[in-house]
Amino acid sequence: MTPNPPNSAEIVLRAENLTKRYGDLLAVDRLSLEVRGGEILGFLGPNGAGKTTAIGMMCGLLRPDAGETFIRGRPVRGGDPEALARVGLAPQSVILWPKLTGLEQLEFVGEMYGMPRPDARRRGRELLETVGLAEKANKLASTLSGGMQRRLNLVLALIHDPEIVILDEPEAGLDPQGRVLVRDYIRLLARERGKTVILTTHNMDEADRLADRVAIIDRGRLLTLDTPEELKHRVGEGDVLEIEVSDAPGEAPGPGGGAGHPVLRTLEELARARGGVGAAGATGAAGATGAASASAVSRVGHIITLRARDAVNLVAAALDALRSAGFRPGAVHLRETTLEDVFIAFTGRSLRE
Amino acid sequence: MRRPIRLLSIFRKTLREQSRDLWLLALSLVAAPFFVVLYWLLFVGGSTAYGVLVLDADRGAVLADGTVFSAGDELVAGLEKVTYASGSPLLRVGRASDLESAKATLANRDAALLLVLPEDFSRGILAFREATSGGGGAPVGGSDGPSGPPAAPTVTFIGDLTSAAYAVSSVLTLATLDEYLQAATGQTRPVELAEEPLGASGVRTEFETYVPGLLILSVTLLIFLAAMTVAREVETGAVRRLRVTPMTSFDLLAGISLNQVLVGVTAVLLTFGTAYLFGFRSQGPLWVAILVGAVTTLSVVGLGLVVAAFSRGVTDAFVIGNFPLIFLMFFSGAIYPLPRTALFTLGGHAVAIYDFIPATHAVVALNKVLTLGAGLGQVAYELIALVALSAVYFAAGVWLFQRRHLRRS
Repeated sequence: MTPNPPNSAEIVLRAENLTKRYGDLLAVDRLSLEVRGGEILGFLGPNGAGKTTAIGMMCGLLRPDAGETFIRGRPVRGGDPEALARVGLAPQSVILWPKLTGLEQLEFVGEMYGMPRPDARRRGRELLETVGLAEKANKLASTLSGGMQRRLNLVLALIHDPEIVILDEPEAGLDPQGRVLVRDYIRLLARERGKTVILTTHNMDEADRLADRVAIIDRGRLLTLDTPEELKHRVGEGDVLEIEVSDAPGEAPGPGGGAGHPVLRTLEELARARGGVGAAGATGAAGATGAASASAVSRVGHIITLRARDAVNLVAAALDALRSAGFRPGAVHLRETTLEDVFIAFTGRSLRE
Repeated sequence: MRRPIRLLSIFRKTLREQSRDLWLLALSLVAAPFFVVLYWLLFVGGSTAYGVLVLDADRGAVLADGTVFSAGDELVAGLEKVTYASGSPLLRVGRASDLESAKATLANRDAALLLVLPEDFSRGILAFREATSGGGGAPVGGSDGPSGPPAAPTVTFIGDLTSAAYAVSSVLTLATLDEYLQAATGQTRPVELAEEPLGASGVRTEFETYVPGLLILSVTLLIFLAAMTVAREVETGAVRRLRVTPMTSFDLLAGISLNQVLVGVTAVLLTFGTAYLFGFRSQGPLWVAILVGAVTTLSVVGLGLVVAAFSRGVTDAFVIGNFPLIFLMFFSGAIYPLPRTALFTLGGHAVAIYDFIPATHAVVALNKVLTLGAGLGQVAYELIALVALSAVYFAAGVWLFQRRHLRRS
């Protein structure tokens, strides 16, 4: 398969209005997106957001109720062998044949994709080498550790050298070393081998480090799709200031208490004055979801979060305002806006399942 | 605070889990009632009627008053009147036209007993009646009349001596014959009885009679292995992984089936080998029996695929597999005979509902080869039926599996 130049403008996968319903549940709602050759696309969403269903339709595992996925212009729906052969899927749950060795599994799946056995065997060895399993090539899958099984699960998606690699939660269940290895490997796939990688994850750090673009999906709908930098910029260019506070005098104790305290408005005005959230960037998010009519200031429990450019110069004023309102400020944290902030801004804080 | 009784907690937890797996629970609960209903349906039209063929060579006798006396017809009428208390016939009596075709019918198990009545059956009986009563009704044709003790005609019983159906039908027929002769002549059994074993059934040891059944058992049990092997692919999610490849359901199922057939053929060879080691000998060519076993394996594996199509995992396959297993074992005639009602005739063979069970043909074919000494030509019908059923079950298995587990839903 011809590798794509890293992050080329060529569209290799196009999803058009993908819709999937399970009974009353609309799992995926008119999802449309285009994936460029050689890019790493992070697919983010809360549990039950429809990520796995969406990628299932993209790789031909699930039949959409409406819409279609095209891989290099060929529809996936009919199980077109050429379209299927261009995609490799590493499912979220580890799917292995326990009584086959790692190399035998790779050889077998390679043959299912029509590879001659010697080729599948040679490539299997290479893949095992790249994920640190060369020494375990002839061990039964059932005897491998959980992390090793996950790595094997991942390379099974690559045996036929697909152009598009779909990885469903590739870092789940891996130890830090395993995560680093897999992360490096994904980067290598896209940057050096020219593969297009679509990965679903809950790990914002992983998505931030790896993805060229990030799609956020919730309740089956695509909320946004952009580069991590642009998304962070939209949610709030600058820094995030987190101040731990005691309960204010007279407010109900506990997580909900003080959520609408007048001091928050004071802080918001401070942040806006410095171009914090709620300014240009957040409007886009709010427009897309209705969930991110986010102000620059929010409070959850005893943590007040404030987003603003040059937030370090706001610290003194913010602490003064809090003290004046009767709060006793505690620890103060200053950090850059993360993809997690973006994620929460778009999807909200309520649990999905 | 009172501590919970752990046993009851575990009981409650298991009950909850079970009630949430209604499919398996329902299958386990309905299996026996289902077969009770099935047996009732099978027997509602009458209990088992044992097939008796009569090759009536009796030429009859013309009495002095000019009437024709036919003991053969009277005996056949008597046999037809043998019934259960309910009035259902106990014997299914038919007439054979010639010895060869009658023996073929016995070999096909379409009848259990062939009763051969000799040419002089009527005359002999008449002679004994004369001797008892002291005159009247002497025959006009045939012999010149008794001038000494009358010669006893010979009635021949032919059948597969290893068959339980033969044992039952011969006892019933003999009782009817005795009763008729007693009434007709006033004498106790004034005939010679001969028993002719079908094929080599007369020289089989009891051990040898069990071997075909055991062979069927070894092949039949493959239904679990076949179904569970495929169901494991579903349970582990491997089918999901394979579904994104260009693999087809035919590839998957044919590949697994090929392996199962190999296991089946090995089981057949091992069973024969073991039996041979302990003195079993086939009357017909052994390779034909092995061929029958191999083809039976194909059809059992086909049924296994159907079971797998309805299974979400290995446990399902095991529970569901019991249904066809019971059919294969108890409705094929492998264990005991069942009422056999022909649905239609195909190439001179009466086709009954059980003929859709592969083991039915396997039982007949193996019996023909191993006990009666038949060759390939004589089991061609059974082999063709087995191949046809294998193709049907395999196609059904592939189609159902495709729909239930491989179709992109």
